[in-house]
Amino acid sequence: MLDKIIYNTVLSQTLSPCGKYLVAGNIYGQLAVFDLDNIFNPVIELLTSDYNKPKHIHTLESGSQVCSLVSTKKFLVVGTVNQILGWDWKSLGHSKLGKPAWNITIRPRSLFENCDINSLWCSEDEEKIYAGCGDNKIYVHNLEDGRLVNSYEGHSDFVHCVHGNGKQIISSGEDGLVLLWDTRTKKSHNKIEPHRNSKVQRHDIGKWVGAAALGNDWIICGGGPRLSLWHLRSLDVVTVFDLPDNGIHVAFFHDDCVFAGGVSKHLYQLSYSGDIRVELPVSATTVYSAVLRTNPRKVLSIAGSSPEIDLCTTFNYRDQVLHFR
Amino acid sequence: MGKDEVSTKKRRKINTTTSIDASKLAPADVYKRVVEFEESEAQIRSAEKDAALFKKICHDVRQIFSDVADLKVKGTDEANEKINAKRIEASLLLVALKKLNRLEKVRTRAGRDALHKEKQRVDSTHLLLQNLLYEADHLDKEVTKCLQFKSKDEEIELVPLKDFYRDAPSEISRPEVTKADEHQLQLARLEWELRQRRELAGVCSELVSSKERVAAAIAAARSRLDALAPHLRDVLKATKPLQECLALRLDEKRDEAQAAALLPPPLFLLYANAGAYSDALGAKNVTVAIAGDEDEARRLDQLTNEESEVVVSNDSDSDQDNNDEDHRDSKKKRHHRTVKVSKEERAEAKKKEVLKTHPLNVHVTVKNSDETSVDLIFSYMIHLKIVVVKFIMNVSKPIIGVSAADVLNGDCILNELYVGDTGTDSPHPATAYLLSTAGISEHFSHFISEIGRPFIWAQRMCGLDFMAVVSDKQKTNKNIQPCQSLSVASVENFIFTLKKRLKARVELMKELQDLESGKILPSKGMPCPVKLSGSLTQWQSITWNEYSQAPSTLFLISEGLVTDVFMLYRAIITRQSAKLVALVAVSSDYPKKAPLFSLTLHWNGTHNSLTNDDIRDIERVINTDWHASDKGRCSLSSQIMKLLTCLDILLETMGSPEFPPDKVMLQSVRGRNRMKPYKFLKQGAGAFVHY
Repeated sequence: MLDKIIYNTVLSQTLSPCGKYLVAGNIYGQLAVFDLDNIFNPVIELLTSDYNKPKHIHTLESGSQVCSLVSTKKFLVVGTVNQILGWDWKSLGHSKLGKPAWNITIRPRSLFENCDINSLWCSEDEEKIYAGCGDNKIYVHNLEDGRLVNSYEGHSDFVHCVHGNGKQIISSGEDGLVLLWDTRTKKSHNKIEPHRNSKVQRHDIGKWVGAAALGNDWIICGGGPRLSLWHLRSLDVVTVFDLPDNGIHVAFFHDDCVFAGGVSKHLYQLSYSGDIRVELPVSATTVYSAVLRTNPRKVLSIAGSSPEIDLCTTFNYRDQVLHFR
Repeated sequence: MGKDEVSTKKRRKINTTTSIDASKLAPADVYKRVVEFEESEAQIRSAEKDAALFKKICHDVRQIFSDVADLKVKGTDEANEKINAKRIEASLLLVALKKLNRLEKVRTRAGRDALHKEKQRVDSTHLLLQNLLYEADHLDKEVTKCLQFKSKDEEIELVPLKDFYRDAPSEISRPEVTKADEHQLQLARLEWELRQRRELAGVCSELVSSKERVAAAIAAARSRLDALAPHLRDVLKATKPLQECLALRLDEKRDEAQAAALLPPPLFLLYANAGAYSDALGAKNVTVAIAGDEDEARRLDQLTNEESEVVVSNDSDSDQDNNDEDHRDSKKKRHHRTVKVSKEERAEAKKKEVLKTHPLNVHVTVKNSDETSVDLIFSYMIHLKIVVVKFIMNVSKPIIGVSAADVLNGDCILNELYVGDTGTDSPHPATAYLLSTAGISEHFSHFISEIGRPFIWAQRMCGLDFMAVVSDKQKTNKNIQPCQSLSVASVENFIFTLKKRLKARVELMKELQDLESGKILPSKGMPCPVKLSGSLTQWQSITWNEYSQAPSTLFLISEGLVTDVFMLYRAIITRQSAKLVALVAVSSDYPKKAPLFSLTLHWNGTHNSLTNDDIRDIERVINTDWHASDKGRCSLSSQIMKLLTCLDILLETMGSPEFPPDKVMLQSVRGRNRMKPYKFLKQGAGAFVHY
């Protein structure tokens, strides 16, 4: 039997607040910590052949998959199955991962079911954490004391993605809905259904919406339906991106650009008008996670169903390949 | 005449001066006496006074002459008279002069004589001195010679002083004398030495004589033993009818033991150890036999014995290799001289010589419980010093099916019995060198089809461990001595490994036969939980070329997980319009290593693990031990069963009307990666959940 790590799939990544570490979580419940300083500015004398391997690989106690990761100033927040765990960033540098600093348990509806924390999003003020879960709900917890502040119910299947822009929250799910929420109420105030739009739908792939993100005036979403740009106030399709993909799992705005990836050989950077600006080749069969950061250094890390993680510093081509194995 | 005159004048003079004495003596003695007198006179008178007198007389004479001259000038008579007087006076003076002269002469002669005498005396004294000096020198030399003299006794190694005083009896050591006198001490020690040596010489001669006695006894015993052999042979001959009557195999065994003695050491080790296992496990598991030309082996044995003797007598360092080489070379040369052999023929002969195997070989037959067996023929290559193996498979029942037959093909049944042991190259590091020195340009692997495969396990079973040689480079050229313990351990290990392999292969063959006919029989403990809708429509073996060209296998090959030594098959599973092509790589170590599947799904396009995560997930479920909850043995059939289940799940979760879901799933899709529930849970009627 082969080692399962050959079929590794990375579902989520995050960068530490200092920008020094990249943390990736896979379906085997492992957290890989990469030391980016060492990877980008290696000391030639100390360079070993495994410099592009993780500095540490921690395995979660429960062994269940790491579905989502988000970082706050103080904590690395790990969304796994039925649990949200928080580790102090400082404790991640040690070779052995200790007990989490805190945890939040989300009870599944029945004994046989499990509730994956599919998506985590943290508001800018870092007061609240939003968790899009496998039990169709979005839970909002206070980061200060871990108290459940709110839970949004509106999806009829599991939630793929949660995102927000301060005033509003957007979520997308397996049921094909993209819901907009006001942070103060419990109900969604708006929704779009891409799979009902004839220009966007793709029946052979499905109606699920794998990724959605909020800009100031725009919504980007995609999944089974094509990647599409919607106007936030009118909720009309502005641009339908014609990409050779088989499903979108990652989409976000950056610098007047749309970054999108999924079941495709490339990660795309697109203009709002629909032009492809950059096609980044990726190692993964399916991209499940792309994290981007410009400070202290420009770095874009792309991971998915592969033991390899692609790293770009210019966003234009693949610089390095990290190995999560 | 003059002398006479002088003598007369002398006489006269003497006469005048000593007239009384002269007149009284006889005329004969007069001269003598005169001479004596004058001599004594000369001695008495002082030479200086005479010289002064002589000068005065000369002066007077001169005065007279000048007076005479003056007078002559006057020329008077008176003057003449005076001249006469003066003449007389002058004559007298001349006589005196003569006398003085004579005296002087005498004196000179006496001085001369005295000088001569003195000289002679000095000479003799000098001579005496020389003699004395020479004598002194000689004596000196003698003294140094004496001083340098070394006695014989100094060369003799003596007992140390301490031991001497301790061991020697007091009548020899005499401490009261020797302690003080060095010379006496030396003498005493010498005496002690002499006594001791005499004693030892006596002991030595005694021992020699006893040795001779023993040698004689040995010779006698040997001759008795030699005489015994014919008797024994007679006895053996006599037992033959009895053996035949009782059907005992004693003789055969003895013959085999004799043949075993002729085996080269590695094969002998193998024979002995494998034989022991054959006895222990029973003949239905393992049998061992020796085959080959015994006479030829005997000849070879003698030859090598002679050679080794030569080596010993030469006391040279040249090892067997060189010796063989030389021997062969000389043979070649002789050939060359006598018979004109063409170049090719010579090369051929050379090749044959290098690749020569020992005339005897060992047959090991390993049998399985169901009558399948492998005949292994071990041969020893004399010059390359490695063991090669040929094999024959014996299968009880005829095998149906093409791919199944390949499995029991001997070629692949022995492949990688141990990790990395493909038997395609010689394990001996020196083989390439030996081949090149013999002028053979081909690589060793070129001859494998002809001579058999040099598996590493074969070397180890024969006690040859080349790994140790490689690590110790200095010994590379030394003869490799078969190691007993290695052989013992390897033979046991090998027999069990081979049996396990055989068993696994037979099972695999059966599985493959079933698969080829389209049947999938669930193995025990893994009953098929649900109705499977897909069916295996094709199963056939494919070549490495076909396998490596499929895009789906790229990943397995690039990771080095599948190589060309694997047994490769293509399975096609269909369900309505969906067709799943599975390329299966079965390791030669099956079932220790599970077969590896790479999948391509033809439905709604072509999908493989590099383009579709669902296929990748199925491969993960089948190929890895992720969540190894089902502890059942992982056989090919159970994996194919799993594959069929996974395919059903995948197709039924696609939401296509062609594949209505008929399996119980708690959740058809889960997580951001939209995993399908491939795990079967035995809960109630059974349901599929996510891993």
